[in-house]
Amino acid sequence: MSLGNSYIIALKALRRNKMQTALTMLGMTIGVATVLTMIALGSGAQKAIQDQVKAAGMNMLVVTAGNYQAQREKPPDDAIEMGAVRNPEVNGHPHLQLALFHPEDDPFAIHDHPTARQRLGDSEAGLGAAATLTIEDANAIRKINGVQYACEGIHENVHVADGDTRWFTRVHGDDSSLPNIRRAWSFVHGDFFSARQQRKNEQVVVLGNIVAAKLFGDVNPVGKTVTLWKQPFKIVGVVTSSSWMVTPESGDDQFDAVYIPVTTMQKLLNLSKLNDITVTTSSTGDVTRVSKTIVTLLRSRHKIGGNTPDDFTVASQASKALTKGGLRPDVASAVTGNAAGLEKVTLDQLGKTLDKSSKTMTALLASIATVSLIVGGIGIMNIMLLSVTERTREIGIRRAVGARATDVLLQFILESVTLSVVGGLLGILIGVVAAIAISHAVQWSTSISPLAVALSFGISAAVGIFFGYYPAREASRVAPLTSLRFE
Amino acid sequence: MNPVISVRNLTKTYHVGEHQVNALRSISLDVQAGEFVSVIGPSGSGKSTLMHILGCLDQPTSGQYFLDGRDVSHLSDDEISLVRNKQIGFVFQGFNLLTRTSALENVELPLLYGTGNITAAERRKRAMAALASVGLESRYDHHTNQLSGGQQQRVAIARALLNNPSILLADEPTGNLDSKTSIEVMEIFQSLQKERGITIVLITHEMDVAEYGSRIISFKDGNIISDVTNESRRHAKGELDVLPSVAEGVA
Repeated sequence: MSLGNSYIIALKALRRNKMQTALTMLGMTIGVATVLTMIALGSGAQKAIQDQVKAAGMNMLVVTAGNYQAQREKPPDDAIEMGAVRNPEVNGHPHLQLALFHPEDDPFAIHDHPTARQRLGDSEAGLGAAATLTIEDANAIRKINGVQYACEGIHENVHVADGDTRWFTRVHGDDSSLPNIRRAWSFVHGDFFSARQQRKNEQVVVLGNIVAAKLFGDVNPVGKTVTLWKQPFKIVGVVTSSSWMVTPESGDDQFDAVYIPVTTMQKLLNLSKLNDITVTTSSTGDVTRVSKTIVTLLRSRHKIGGNTPDDFTVASQASKALTKGGLRPDVASAVTGNAAGLEKVTLDQLGKTLDKSSKTMTALLASIATVSLIVGGIGIMNIMLLSVTERTREIGIRRAVGARATDVLLQFILESVTLSVVGGLLGILIGVVAAIAISHAVQWSTSISPLAVALSFGISAAVGIFFGYYPAREASRVAPLTSLRFE
Repeated sequence: MNPVISVRNLTKTYHVGEHQVNALRSISLDVQAGEFVSVIGPSGSGKSTLMHILGCLDQPTSGQYFLDGRDVSHLSDDEISLVRNKQIGFVFQGFNLLTRTSALENVELPLLYGTGNITAAERRKRAMAALASVGLESRYDHHTNQLSGGQQQRVAIARALLNNPSILLADEPTGNLDSKTSIEVMEIFQSLQKERGITIVLITHEMDVAEYGSRIISFKDGNIISDVTNESRRHAKGELDVLPSVAEGVA
């Protein structure tokens, strides 16, 4: 007898008892749907961590012209104990003291805007000219293996004017790849300027939504013209934050700002250098290696040899990622709980810890879900065992007309496998829908991998065979004679 | 000509607790092809045990059973299942049809088992032909609970005939039927014997049912007490003609 016939028999038997079939399947469906949803949530969290880490700059490096980075990040060594420090005397003039601090230059404060020291930094620190980076440097960095994007940056203050309405803000001369680096951006109107517009030095501008609101209110400004440095610029887009964690605010340098092609800015302001180059790496773990490569590359390009200090600074933004990222609260607390002393750990360590904690969470969710899968499987076993008693007469009839014990075994196994596989497929469908619904409803990211789907399907088939075998064997052992007498 | 059924010194002993029950005590008998044998006896006489052994649903304690010349008394489960599928057709008192299943699917059932691949179309064709031979082709899609007792028994007969078995075993086939329907079923049996030469073994405890057979074997306490050719055979067809014609009720 062929397997095909066994399958026909099993399907017909299932069809005879539709209600029971449907309910048993439901148990399996719920089990698989739960597993899939939980895995989707877990790996979604994992992916969210990676994305946030990237968005927040875990894979970001900023190459800044000049070498005064140390002063920006921490107070000068000689200013640690402010009260105790005495300003050094000017040589030969004991009554004169060098002013170490500018009044607005509190070394402990971290300013959004450049401090006086930073503005004066180059000449005061005497470490090379501010403008050492060029577009050619950026192009060379783009060719480094592992670099995802590199974006040139020139930053100035500017008056943006629409007729008589003026707004004082920041202007950033950037590469057209900037929106790929700033992941938490979305465009209210229009889009970012294109690579073509950048190549042709076109006078196009993208407004931060704060600027757009100040100048145009609620009107869509795309296509209109504003003036910068008395030059007309065509508006091509308005950008805002896509992360609910970051709200655009006045003076935030990101959405209270305008963006123009770096080439246009260089041409109009007659510049040949850059303030900085923002680099992202394809993988988070690669940041350390890429930053070393960039240092070597730029030192050779700038012909810096021996012990001469760099005329640029490469900085990564590791720890900011966790505290400012848009992580789900539970993920964030899991991460901060697992990674003590965030400031001290290296990027690689941090990445590994993050991965580990999210994997732990996925495993936890999956194991909870597995319980419901087992319950579904036991449901199938229960029904199939009941069937054996309930269907003794049916078994007897089948044996009387010539079914072998193996035919009966096969029929019952195929019945339970069909129940679990069809139930499982429905569960996969429901799980996918549930995962999408969850990510829409509560903004939790979910991720359904083909592996998770294949795993759920495999598990449901295995459950069918595993929990179906025992009842099927019982059924095949029913003696034809006794089962016929059974009324 | 070799007998279809040949039984030699068949014994069957059950153990019920401490008790030993001798259901069959060294039975020997031959049934020739085309015979309609009625086996009669009171409850506990051993006639049902004989029927189960003849139907290969049970195996004898000792002795031999040749079906179509082949010893089938000690075959493996798989072999005996095939024998049941190909050579034996059963008709039971309780019909033993699958519930919630159409008449056609019930009749098709033997074709789903056994050797050989039969297409769905072929299965259907043969099952319809079998249903037609018992006059039920118009009700092929009725579920068993939509059929009357007599109709259900006819479906069971159609199923039993599907594989052209060597013998048709009927165990109290009229036990659950009223007298008119019983006569109808007997008419089918008699015409099967007459027109198709099918060998029939009918088990009953009612003498008036046994009298439809061409030969009557009486059982008592596990022994054959008489084995005679039925001289005063009843003919169901004639009896049906004289019965007042009543529209057949459908449950």
